[in-house]
Amino acid sequence: MSSAQPDNPEHAAELLAKIAAEQSRAAFSELFRYFAPRLQAYATRQFGNEQTAMDLVQETMTNVWHKAHLFKPDRGSAATWIFTIARNIRFDLLRKNKHRQNDLSADDLWPVLAETNDSLDDDYALDNDLLMQQLAVYCEQLPKAQRTVIELIYIEGKSQQEVADALEIPLGTVKSRTRLALQKLKELIQHDD
Amino acid sequence: MIKFHPSEQHLVLYAAGELSPAMLMMVGTHVDMCPKCQAHVQDIEQHMAAKLFGESETANIVHGFDEQAMLQAIFDSQQPAVNNTAAANDSLFLEGHRFALPPTLARNSHRIGEWSRLPGKLWRAPVRVGGEEMLNFIYMDKHASLPEHTHKGNEVTIVVNGVFNDENNEYRDGDFMLLDEQHKHSPATQDHDCLTIAALEGPLYFTTGLSRLLNPFSSLFFK
Repeated sequence: MSSAQPDNPEHAAELLAKIAAEQSRAAFSELFRYFAPRLQAYATRQFGNEQTAMDLVQETMTNVWHKAHLFKPDRGSAATWIFTIARNIRFDLLRKNKHRQNDLSADDLWPVLAETNDSLDDDYALDNDLLMQQLAVYCEQLPKAQRTVIELIYIEGKSQQEVADALEIPLGTVKSRTRLALQKLKELIQHDD
Repeated sequence: MIKFHPSEQHLVLYAAGELSPAMLMMVGTHVDMCPKCQAHVQDIEQHMAAKLFGESETANIVHGFDEQAMLQAIFDSQQPAVNNTAAANDSLFLEGHRFALPPTLARNSHRIGEWSRLPGKLWRAPVRVGGEEMLNFIYMDKHASLPEHTHKGNEVTIVVNGVFNDENNEYRDGDFMLLDEQHKHSPATQDHDCLTIAALEGPLYFTTGLSRLLNPFSSLFFK
């Protein structure tokens, strides 16, 4: 037995990993006994309603149990992840009884519990954003052949196959030019920092 | 580079979910586009989590509920429905152009209403998010201009794609600008078109809630 407590971030992350990998009830119970009473104490004071507070605790911890595989240790601590789940549940609970059309849900704003799609994961989104918004300047420094491919893919939104067809070059060439261009862009940015 | 950012107070209230729906969309869109504010929001979330689960909260624990019963209910619960928002539509087509939508707008693309043409090479489409405040896409074609105007209340605009100018500055992708009633301005485009999203800022909702864990009114809580 480890003597670490769930207030130790590394230990809490290990517990989540165990829940994700082997549905460990022991690991979950340990996390629960640390986080649930704190959430309950806070929510009771906030809502001034014990039942709503209990709903918040139960819904939050139910998601922790089922969705532990969505926790990404490189994005923040276990406590922060659990906080963002509770924030989302609270947001929806506060709107639940209003039944207004068009109301935003927490998932629309903060996709904490979205199953990520491999072709559109965070790295891609970040690369894409960086390219679109901040790297236009660096693109100017690429060799023309690479720049053309990057512009067609990232600005016009073509697939690599469409680029190959448009330029009448093999798909492999498009792929290697894309890879070289992205690599070159990374170097340019790091060099600039 | 992005030059204009939301205030720290906006970021704290966004992280707590305590802005109007229109403003949550606006700050979320900027955060998608701005690595600096993204990192700042992660810091804010971490600080709120530390306060919520930290030492001071342990004093309030009364153990007033049956933990064992809740644990059992959780173990017996069904897997919640899979939520796959990554399949959202991340492109917007207008006047023969394709615009990439930042993730917050992409996840909410089903809320975008019909485009309508306004005088002066301008297009507008509402985004229906509930709440009192209007949220609209405004598209300015090349060489378009809006007549000089002021706002009732604060108006927030983000450049989603393109560039426009007013008397004071040039605004590019990701720039978040807040204009109050005192500001007169006449936005105009030159050789580039520009897609923006704009909201009127309603009252800030900060009297209770998660944001109180921090103090959004202190000047720069963590620098």
